[in-house]
Amino acid sequence: MQRALKLLLLVLAVVLLPACAEPTPPSVIVWHHYRGKEQEALEKVARAFEAETGATVALLALPYDGYGAKLEAAIPRGNGPDVFLSPHERLGTYLANKLVTPAGGAFPDEDLARYEAASVDAITDGGTRWAVPLATKCVALYLATKYVQTPPETLEELLTAGRAAGKGVVPLAYEAHSAYFHAPFLHAYGGKLFDGKGFAMVGPEAERAAARVAELSRAHDIPEEPSGDLVKQMFTSGGAAAAISGPWLAADLPPEVRYTVVPLPRIDGAGRMRPYLTVDGAFLTPQGASKERARALVRYLGSDASAKVRAAEGKQVVANRAVWGEIDDPVLSAFHEAGTLAVPMPASVAMRATWVPAEQALRKILRGDATPAAALAEAKARYDDVMRPPPPPPSPVPVVLLMGVLLLAGAIFAVRRVREPSFRRELAASVPAYKYVAHAVVTVFVLVVLPLLAGTATSFFAGTRDEPRYVGLTHYIEILTARGQPLLSHGSFYLTLLVTVGWTLVNVVAHVGIGLVLGTILSRPLMRMRAVYRVLLVVPWAVPSYVTALAWKGMFHRQFGAVNAILAAVGVEPVSWFSQFSTAFTANVATNVWLGFPFMMVVVLGALTSIPKDVLEAAEVDGATRFQAFRLVTLPLLKPTLLPAVVLGSVWTFNMFNVVFLVSGGEPDGTTDILVSEAYRWAFARNAQYGYAAAYAVIIFGLLALASRVTSGVGKERGGAK
Amino acid sequence: MEEGVEPVAGNRPRQSSTASEDTPLPVPAPRSVRCEARGVKKAFGDNPILRGVDLDIPEGSFAVLVGPSGCGKSTLLRLVAGLETADEGTIHLAGRDVTELPPRDRDVAMVFQSYALYPHLTVRDNLAFGLKLRGTAESEISTRIKEASAMLGLDKLLDRLPKQLSGGQRQRVAMGRAIVRRPTIFLFDEPLSNLDAALRAEVRVEIRRLHDRLDATTLYVTHDQVEAMTLADTLWVLNGGRVEQKGAPLDVYERPASRFVATFLGSPQMNLLEGKLEREDGRFFAAGGGIRAIVDEDRFGDALEEGRAVSIGVRPHDLVLAKGEAPVVAELKVELIEALGFEAYAHGWLKSSGPTLIARLEADDARSVKAGVTVPLTAAPTSVHLFDPESGRSLAAS
Ligand SMILES: Nc1ncnc2c1ncn2[C@@H]1O[C@H](COP(=O)(O)OP(=O)(O)OP(=O)(O)O)[C@@H](O)[C@H]1O
Ligand SMILES: [Mg+2]
Repeated sequence: MQRALKLLLLVLAVVLLPACAEPTPPSVIVWHHYRGKEQEALEKVARAFEAETGATVALLALPYDGYGAKLEAAIPRGNGPDVFLSPHERLGTYLANKLVTPAGGAFPDEDLARYEAASVDAITDGGTRWAVPLATKCVALYLATKYVQTPPETLEELLTAGRAAGKGVVPLAYEAHSAYFHAPFLHAYGGKLFDGKGFAMVGPEAERAAARVAELSRAHDIPEEPSGDLVKQMFTSGGAAAAISGPWLAADLPPEVRYTVVPLPRIDGAGRMRPYLTVDGAFLTPQGASKERARALVRYLGSDASAKVRAAEGKQVVANRAVWGEIDDPVLSAFHEAGTLAVPMPASVAMRATWVPAEQALRKILRGDATPAAALAEAKARYDDVMRPPPPPPSPVPVVLLMGVLLLAGAIFAVRRVREPSFRRELAASVPAYKYVAHAVVTVFVLVVLPLLAGTATSFFAGTRDEPRYVGLTHYIEILTARGQPLLSHGSFYLTLLVTVGWTLVNVVAHVGIGLVLGTILSRPLMRMRAVYRVLLVVPWAVPSYVTALAWKGMFHRQFGAVNAILAAVGVEPVSWFSQFSTAFTANVATNVWLGFPFMMVVVLGALTSIPKDVLEAAEVDGATRFQAFRLVTLPLLKPTLLPAVVLGSVWTFNMFNVVFLVSGGEPDGTTDILVSEAYRWAFARNAQYGYAAAYAVIIFGLLALASRVTSGVGKERGGAK
Repeated sequence: MEEGVEPVAGNRPRQSSTASEDTPLPVPAPRSVRCEARGVKKAFGDNPILRGVDLDIPEGSFAVLVGPSGCGKSTLLRLVAGLETADEGTIHLAGRDVTELPPRDRDVAMVFQSYALYPHLTVRDNLAFGLKLRGTAESEISTRIKEASAMLGLDKLLDRLPKQLSGGQRQRVAMGRAIVRRPTIFLFDEPLSNLDAALRAEVRVEIRRLHDRLDATTLYVTHDQVEAMTLADTLWVLNGGRVEQKGAPLDVYERPASRFVATFLGSPQMNLLEGKLEREDGRFFAAGGGIRAIVDEDRFGDALEEGRAVSIGVRPHDLVLAKGEAPVVAELKVELIEALGFEAYAHGWLKSSGPTLIARLEADDARSVKAGVTVPLTAAPTSVHLFDPESGRSLAAS
């Protein structure tokens, strides 16, 4: 009671305090996502501004995840910041949502000379400058002093030096399959990822760049399947002579690692490797634009005084030119130099849809599954497919008609039921029962039925959330006709369904099989330390599935995974697990079996205790061997318990997003994707086609509802026959 | 007449099985074998249950095993079935050492107390289960099922599941499952304990009849005195992990070899009093605790010795109202009367401080005798049992 009171007071205090304690609101509110030194430097700059102008500046640090969503939610409602800091590549989204205003007075022409040209380019769109550039980020070349002492002029020089480092050292480590890291190669050959309208990584330049990288991979000049962590680990441990990475790598390297950072080299027979440049800008919101002080602050953030603090103390690669003469941090200077050579990342919304197809193409090329020309052409086709304009709005008549017919049928059915006197009697008799279940009904309605209806409704619309466009059943038709492709073509609904069904079958059979064997063994009273084994065997289930999935993904790594290490120990060639459907599928299945068997084991253990011991003894006396007793008595008696568990397990497996997404991630080339992960990609990796993804979800729901109807029907039928 | 035990015609001349008139079915060929256990010991952990049991059941004999709860009756049965393994000793079936064999190689059939029917199989499949496992031909299976179900009245139930049967019907199915197998020996572990009294009496007779027809060796465990007395050819009393006494049921009842057997068999329990032997007029009397009775010198012979301390046992059934010339052995101060209709039992004391005692009253006398009165009692010399107070062994010359 008292505690509740205290709590209430506390809440009131928190709500009311700001209002009374601070009669004058701060003149400028700033949102940012900086941490650590960067944040401290920013605070120092803000204090300096306050001292200079007498304004008050409130800084609010937000987590980077969901930063954009928070801006989108807060600014249009007028409770957002006056100024916010953000990487420039989101500018397209900000413009589309009208979250920013031109920098205007905060960035007058006279300031132009202050900043690096590339940074200014980045924050300029349609001839208007939308922010003040603060700092830049791009990748550069890390050289391990142990192996490479003089900065190489060209990539080829680097490789020669790296190869000389000896066996077990990779000349160059970087995330080759990532389009972001591939961009320097692409730019060196004069190619482009995005041309302002659409996917542009096609044509001879792009092909030559991709071919060059494939060559590196074949020659083992770069590691296989490298992730960011792996690059870091290799460079730290001396397993790589050089690495392409951003400033974040320097922050993670232990002090004993000796290295230098230089801009990326040129490629023989092509130009300089120019990475993408990201620029952190200070943006004015519509609310801030009207404030004199907000504009002043934004301008001040870019000033020499501010830049000096941010560079010296915040270790930022500042966009302001003036300070670079005085900085004696070689790494920082190197990134600055690299930044001046970099290509500003296009900020358009359409740019974002290029990453996934580009990455898929790169993976294919690196594996040698396709020629650069074919893979890139396919990537472009995929991009165009994803970005296709929404279908013309069909007439709503068919849907309305359908709804009408359904409603009418429902009404007729209801009326007929109500007419039956027995029904009315039963209804009257069960009124108290309805009262008891009312809260459950409401809960289920709110938590289950409403989202389902909302999802279904979403599936009838295309376009963005703010501008939905009604498209009727078009999504369903597109899905069910495989978007005009052959029915079993790559990525079609039917092929994915086939994979999903196979995936479910294999998994459930393995779950039940292993669960039965282990459950039976563990139920034996003779076994010593049963309790310990039981706990151990339930562990895979108790660990969050994504942790397990990531661990397994690591174990299946081509070069560094435990699985291949074990295979190598018995003399088997290392397997590139995620480069073929069969092996990638196997890796997924292994992970999911590991995750899923404990559940079945626990079910079996429970069910076994309900089987009377003397029935099994009777079978033994009747002449059964252990196995016969198991097959003829135990198994049939387990069935009633096992059947619902199998149905449940099938549904879980059918929708086992975590494993598929995290282990194979659909590799190779989306072939191991199941329906849910495919739906996810439509929603979150393919230009936010929520409607299309929702249609997928509705179809999945329908399939599962149908399947569980059928299985429970089968169960009943069998039960009845007995 | 002995109290508590109803007379059963089947007791005992071993006239071999001729089918009773109501079932003109062919009688399966007897395959009964001799069952022996020699020096069987069994312990669960540190807890010795059987401490050296010898058992010998001749072909076609019906042996009943009785003993207090927890004395190891079921354990012994399971050892014979092969569901447990003996720590020491051997088990022989038909002269063959089966001690190490699993149940399926012993060719025994067991009827469990809980029946242990296969819940997922129909009655027919329950009956056929063991036969199918042994690869019996379909036609043979169906004849045997027909035979057994006719014998047990299961014909109409063949397609039902166990859960659709009453307790008595399940019990029959359990027996049928044993019968169709035509095993060399039948093992029953308290098969009637889950039935109500009326049904128990009915099935009891049926089991005996069945045994007489099949003539199979049977080992039957029970708690129930009536079952033990009426069914057994030989009664084996188990106590403290050993066989305390064996013999024909009436022999065991009338001449218990120990105080334990004497009190274990018979209901109400035998009255026991501590006393000593006295000699008067050349005859021996057992006296103590308020009783003084002539003893049967033929039975106890040399053991009789003046002044010897003894435990005196008289079954309530043998202690009756003294009328006419009958010698009075005790005076009972009646505390309460249990009237059963055809007779009654009077509970009371012989002395104000002595132990309580039970005596039998005729139905007529039960009306006249009221609580609080003192009545004279008599007992025939042959009904007086004497035990050594230390060892509990009977003083009777064996
Ligand atoms: N599997 C076992 N593990 C440990 N102790 C056991 C086991 N089976 C039986 N016992 C013990 O052995 C003793 C004899 O058990 P058993 O079942 O043979 O008794 P019983 O004579 O059949 O008793 P009842 O008349 O109550 O059925 C009991 O004390 C019991 O607790
Ligand atoms: Mg028992």
